[in-house]
Amino acid sequence: MARAKSKASTDDIPPLEWAAAGVGLCLAATAIGLTAWDAAFGVDSPPAIEVRLTKVTPTPYGYVAQIEAFNHGGAPAAQVAVEGVLAGAEPETASATFDYIPEQSRAEGGLIFEHDPRAGPLKLRAKGFIEAS
Amino acid sequence: MNAARDANLDYGAALARAFGGALLFSFPLLMTMEMWSLGMTVDRWRLVIFLVLTIPMLIGLSYYAGFESTFRLKDEVLDALAAFGVGFLLSAALLGMFGVLRGDGVGSQAVWGKISLCAAPAAIGALLAGKQLGERGPGRGEKARAGAVGELFLMAVGATFLAFNVAPTEEMILIAYQMGPLQTLLLMTASIVLLHLYVYRLGFPGETKRREAGGFRRTFVAFTAPGYGVALMVSLYMLWTFGRTDGVAPHEVATMTIVLGFPAALGAATARLVV
Repeated sequence: MARAKSKASTDDIPPLEWAAAGVGLCLAATAIGLTAWDAAFGVDSPPAIEVRLTKVTPTPYGYVAQIEAFNHGGAPAAQVAVEGVLAGAEPETASATFDYIPEQSRAEGGLIFEHDPRAGPLKLRAKGFIEAS
Repeated sequence: MNAARDANLDYGAALARAFGGALLFSFPLLMTMEMWSLGMTVDRWRLVIFLVLTIPMLIGLSYYAGFESTFRLKDEVLDALAAFGVGFLLSAALLGMFGVLRGDGVGSQAVWGKISLCAAPAAIGALLAGKQLGERGPGRGEKARAGAVGELFLMAVGATFLAFNVAPTEEMILIAYQMGPLQTLLLMTASIVLLHLYVYRLGFPGETKRREAGGFRRTFVAFTAPGYGVALMVSLYMLWTFGRTDGVAPHEVATMTIVLGFPAALGAATARLVV
């Protein structure tokens, strides 16, 4: 019984087998193609990280400023140190570290201030990173 | 018509087993942080080489342990591609579920890198599942047919498979840093001794007894030594792929290779158990 079945399935390949192999071929080809394309023609520039303020939420424990870091460069960055300097009557600094920001990708985090960052001029920037490996 | 439906159902069941096996074999990697970060940071050409090399490896593996008992090249290629597809789909689904892909644009290099790096071990799992979880697999007869080259190939697959589970982790480098020269030599000796014992002395099911016939020295030279060589080569290749060898002093690279060679040797030795 089992023998007869396996013979039938080896002699004429069921459509499902073609479909599964087709899906596999498409996925593998896409992955290899995209990666090779990126390797050959991808932008080969250092990480360029833009930090934006997305939202400020006052909490009893300080003002939580949610930030978004976008890496516009052509290489991933690791351990990206981000600093926010809030100038005003009492200047203060908050910082956070992003583990990884891949190229052309975004990562989210937050900085915590004692004063409302919406009030004073807030300067956000990435201070440094290490090469991801 | 009915037969065709049966064949489809049969294949569907095999495919479901493949998903099951892929899950079972690859979840440790899918849940390893380094796999995600390596997915985005690994050198792109090295990733391409890795993905391209995976295909012939899957085809070869399909010949020895496919999820349909087949012997023809066309079938092996179809099985290998299907297994690769299963690997991709499963990795994408699980990484998505774990929230690993959040924040990266769909179709971005980060997403594809993470998925494809995990897809290869999952695909090996998918192929192995057919035999491990299926009710009918290739019998002993086919196993015996593996010649010297086939034997080395299977050892390489076993080494790849087991070493891959730990190769991406930071611990491999840390262990290498911690070990002194004496400990390194000790680990090397242990790897070789274990490799030999596993294959020829412990008598696990699926191990062929006949190879012992030539006596200790012959078996050692003909099988154990090349087996360890394969394990070391696989280890070095993996470390290179993951960028662990870049800018590192040669003696440190050697230590890392020997450290990773330990699981690789165990994998090579027990390849026959799994494959």
